[in-house]
Amino acid sequence: MTLRRSLVTLCVAFSLAAPGGLVGGAAPAKPAASKSLVTLPNHHGSLKFAVLGDFGTGDPPEYEVAAEMAKVFAGFKMAIVVLVGDNLYGAERPQDFKRKFEDPYKPLLDAGVKFYAALGNHDARAQRNYKLFNMGGKLYYSFKAPNEGVRFFVLDSTYPVPEQIAWLEKELKGSNEAWKIAVFHHPLYSSGTRHGSDVRLRETLEPLFIKYNVSVVFTGHDHIYERIKPQHDIAYFVAGSGGQLRPGNIDKVSDYTAKGFDTDRAFMVVEIAGDTMSFNAISRLGEIVDSGVVVRRKPSTP
Amino acid sequence: MTGLPAAEASPVSPAEAHALEEFQEDVQKYLVLLGKLEATLPKLPKKPTAEQIDGNQRALGDLIRSARSHAKPGEFFAPKMQAVVKRILGEVLSGPDGAEVKASIMDENPGVASITVNERYPASVPLSTMPPQILAALPKLPQALEYRFVGTRLILLDTHADIILDFAEGVLAR
Repeated sequence: MTLRRSLVTLCVAFSLAAPGGLVGGAAPAKPAASKSLVTLPNHHGSLKFAVLGDFGTGDPPEYEVAAEMAKVFAGFKMAIVVLVGDNLYGAERPQDFKRKFEDPYKPLLDAGVKFYAALGNHDARAQRNYKLFNMGGKLYYSFKAPNEGVRFFVLDSTYPVPEQIAWLEKELKGSNEAWKIAVFHHPLYSSGTRHGSDVRLRETLEPLFIKYNVSVVFTGHDHIYERIKPQHDIAYFVAGSGGQLRPGNIDKVSDYTAKGFDTDRAFMVVEIAGDTMSFNAISRLGEIVDSGVVVRRKPSTP
Repeated sequence: MTGLPAAEASPVSPAEAHALEEFQEDVQKYLVLLGKLEATLPKLPKKPTAEQIDGNQRALGDLIRSARSHAKPGEFFAPKMQAVVKRILGEVLSGPDGAEVKASIMDENPGVASITVNERYPASVPLSTMPPQILAALPKLPQALEYRFVGTRLILLDTHADIILDFAEGVLAR
C-alpha cells in the first residue's frame, strides 16, 4: 500500500522495532519539527540523509526525481546524499557531469547538501576525483556523518580486491560509531530479475558485516526499489531506480522481498536518531511507497 | 586475485604462463612510463571540478600519445596473450554462470563502436559491465588500468588518461 502525499503531511511517526529488527508501516502520529513531505520524525539534531542510485541519465525522469528530492528537502533538511553507484550513464565529459548531476541536484548542492558517491559498474574511475562526489580520490573510503555516531563504509563492489576487503575489515574493527552503514553498488540480496543477488560478493562481505555489527546496507544495480527481509539482523535495501527503471522487474515470488516498488523511479530519505533509523522510499511523483524503522545492531555479549 | 572466491579455471600451460608473464611485464613497464609522465603535469587540486579532471586527462593523454607514438594493437594483447584471454573468457562463459555473465556484459554494452589504440575512450560510448567472474579470471591489473568490453572486444584502458592502450578483437563469441 502506498501513502499519498496528502497523508504524509499528517506527520505520522513510527513505533520502535525490537533491537536488530525492522518494522514497516506506520504507527501513532507524533509531532514533527516542521511540515514535511515525509513521514519521518524530523527530530532536531538527528542525522537526515537521502539514498539515490542508478540515476545519472540526464533524462527527464532523473530531473523529476531530483525535483521531488528538492521538495522533500524544503521540510526535511538532509545533510547528505549517499549515491550507490551508476552516477553517470554514457559519456562522462564535463558537460555530462553538469547535465546528469550538477543541474538536476542544483537546489540541494546550492543548499550545502554533500553527496558521497560509490562507483557503479558503469562509472569511470576518474569520478573518484570529482569534488562534488566527495570520494577524496579513493575508490573506497569511509566517512563519519556529521552527527548521531554514524559511519558510512563506501565500497567499490566492482573490484572487491583483497586490499579493499582487508581495508574494510580494519575500518570496521576500528570504528567506534554506534551505527555502521555500508554503501556500494552490487546488491548482496535482490529480487531484481535482471541481476539479482550477488552471491559471490555476499560470501565475501556479509561475514564482515555480521562480525562487526553493520546495521544497514544500501545498494543499487537492479533498477528497482526493494527492502529485503532482514538477513542476519541486517537491513538491506536496493535503491537502484533514481533515474533508470526496469518496470515489473521484481520477482513476485521472491522470498527476499519485504517491500518492492518497480513501477516508477524512487529514492530514499532516512533519519537516524539514537538507536533507530526511520526511512521512507519516495517515488518520482512523491508517493511514499515504503516506510519503516530499523533498530541498530549491538555487539553481542559473549 | 580478488576478495571473491576464486573462479574455476584450468591450469595454464607453460606457453600461457609465458604469455601472462610478458603481459604483466608490459603492464609494469607502462606503469613506470605513466608515473614519469604524470610527474611532469601540475597536480590536480584536492577537490577538482569535472573540467579540471578532464583537462588533466587530456594533457596526460597528449603526453602518452607522444611517448607511445608508435603504439599499435597487440602491444599488450600479443597474439599468444589474446589466445589466453579467449581461452579464459571461453571457460567462464561456458561455465554454470556463463549465460548470466554474458548477459551482464552485453547489458548496455556499446556494441560496434570504433576504437583506436592511443586514443581516448569514445565519449559517447557507455562503459560496459565487467562481471566479477571475468575479473577474477583475467590477470589482475593495477588501479591505473582496467579492462572493459566494447562489443566483442576486450580493451585495456588507462583510467588516469582515459586512453585505450590496446584491445583484443573478438574475444567474446557473438
